[in-house]
Amino acid sequence: MKSRSQRLSAWLNDLTPLSAGVLALGAGAIIVAIPGSIVFVVVQGLTPFESIVSSTTSPFQASLMYIAIALGFAAALAGYSLYRRMPTKAARESMLAGAALGLQAVLFSAAFLWFSSGDLFPIFIRQFFSFDVLGEFMGTFLNAARNTVFLAFFAQLIGMVLGAVFALMALSDRVVVRAPARLYINLIRGTPLLVQLSVGYLGIVLGLGLDVSVYRAGIIILGLNAAAYTAEIFRAGIQSIDRGQLEAARSLGMSYLQAMRYVVMPQAIRRVIPPLTNEFVILIKDTSLIVILGFVFGDRELLAWATDAYGESFNATPFIAAVLGYLAITLPLIRLVTALERKLRSGLVGIGA
Amino acid sequence: MNEDGSLVRLENIHKAFGDNLVLKGVDFSVKPGQVVVLIGPSGSGKSTLLRTINLLEEPTEGRVLFDGTEITDIRTNVNEVRTHIGIVFQQFNLFPHRNACDNITLALRKVLNVSQGEANKRALQELKHIGLEEKASAYPSQLSGGQQQRVAIARALAMRPKLMLFDEVTSALDPELVKEVLDAMKRLADEGMTMVVVTHEMGFAREVGTRLLVMDDGRIVEDGDPKEIFAAPQHERTRKFLSDVL
Repeated sequence: MKSRSQRLSAWLNDLTPLSAGVLALGAGAIIVAIPGSIVFVVVQGLTPFESIVSSTTSPFQASLMYIAIALGFAAALAGYSLYRRMPTKAARESMLAGAALGLQAVLFSAAFLWFSSGDLFPIFIRQFFSFDVLGEFMGTFLNAARNTVFLAFFAQLIGMVLGAVFALMALSDRVVVRAPARLYINLIRGTPLLVQLSVGYLGIVLGLGLDVSVYRAGIIILGLNAAAYTAEIFRAGIQSIDRGQLEAARSLGMSYLQAMRYVVMPQAIRRVIPPLTNEFVILIKDTSLIVILGFVFGDRELLAWATDAYGESFNATPFIAAVLGYLAITLPLIRLVTALERKLRSGLVGIGA
Repeated sequence: MNEDGSLVRLENIHKAFGDNLVLKGVDFSVKPGQVVVLIGPSGSGKSTLLRTINLLEEPTEGRVLFDGTEITDIRTNVNEVRTHIGIVFQQFNLFPHRNACDNITLALRKVLNVSQGEANKRALQELKHIGLEEKASAYPSQLSGGQQQRVAIARALAMRPKLMLFDEVTSALDPELVKEVLDAMKRLADEGMTMVVVTHEMGFAREVGTRLLVMDDGRIVEDGDPKEIFAAPQHERTRKFLSDVL
């Protein structure tokens, strides 16, 4: 196996001057168009929003866009018309990469020029990029992000414990054990979470006058909901383990439960980690639905925080902050799922650890 | 032992999977020390018959007696009975998440309640017996097919069974790995273990088997000394089968 730097130098060796030039042209176009504009706007100042409007509609910004269009157009034209003549695979690929980047720079810049010249542009900027609005709400932002994570975490915990029980019940040979689990799973999966939240909190907690906060009720209802989906993940994981494993364990004298505990489950758990993490990402996003129940101040999660901030400021920038908050939590998890799935496919998880 | 001096006795065994009749009334018994080899065309019911002996398949009809107990009786503790009957499978079925040593000790500790230290000692002893002591900490995926199958044999033997069942244990192996597994089985037979072996290895059947059963279409059609049957098969089906495989 060659090291990364060795592969890079081999690849550079295979490039022709023309293909390297087209790649540089395309990359240059996209760098001028996007990072270039961002640096310019940030340097000119992000607050107040009028400063963003004036920098993005300035002649300098327009000239950045025109430069990007010119570079990008040249790269796209040269790349797409000449890539077939390239002598090596690396050269052909870099022609195509340069052409694609150039095309993207052209499309972005043209769209931006058109959009920023419109009447609605300053209003759009005020609505979504009034960062000074965030100032007074920032103190509670981290608390809201933490609440989002806690809601999802405890709900997932409930979901995994109950889900494991329901999964084992659903796998039973006996109809009387299987039926209640199937009924529960299908009932939950067949109804919207919003309806479940309404029935559970408005109907049961408020209706019966129980002393349970929205925060706790939210965790319980989300957990009961996650249990159904988690049960299906566990069931699929257990069923994916070769039947021979159970037979080998049973023929050594283990009871069904021993065979499950010592042989089947440890293997199944490894296989369900990626789908379980996926389920956790979905749960994190679903915590936002609790907003319809109304939170007390300190219990608010990200969307409730953003909605309150919007209500006070009549500005949508807090929603942008919420978007970034959700992404900061979910993107690392999504990457983790991808890495785990790759590891699982390579078969390395099969041995030990 | 059963009253008639046999270790295992099957009486009138029938087995159906849905509408498909796989066993159509099988009677036979195995005496201690016998090495019974089961052969026959695929689909004749050999594996199913073998698997009814430790009740991995429950017969639809008929009785299985093992060591003086009717194990088809619903009140029998099947888990306890199975600790006395070792089985080795075609696909090895080692536990991939545990190393060779732990594969062997798991049931010793959890089923027979042998202490960890004692179980490890027994596992190493069994691994040594099959010449794999240096692979004690290797995971199944790090072993060749032949080595995996030998560990599977060691895992079954560590329980100190009275009877060993072999279900086409060399069928999934590359040709060059078959011999090491057959050698391990031959050594076991020489040590006096009672064995029932389903196999396509006619050489093994002739050399090691003390008794040959030929199955066809859910019934036993021939039962006798392997060398005699190979030399002069009595039944038309046996002649046909032997001429197809030899």
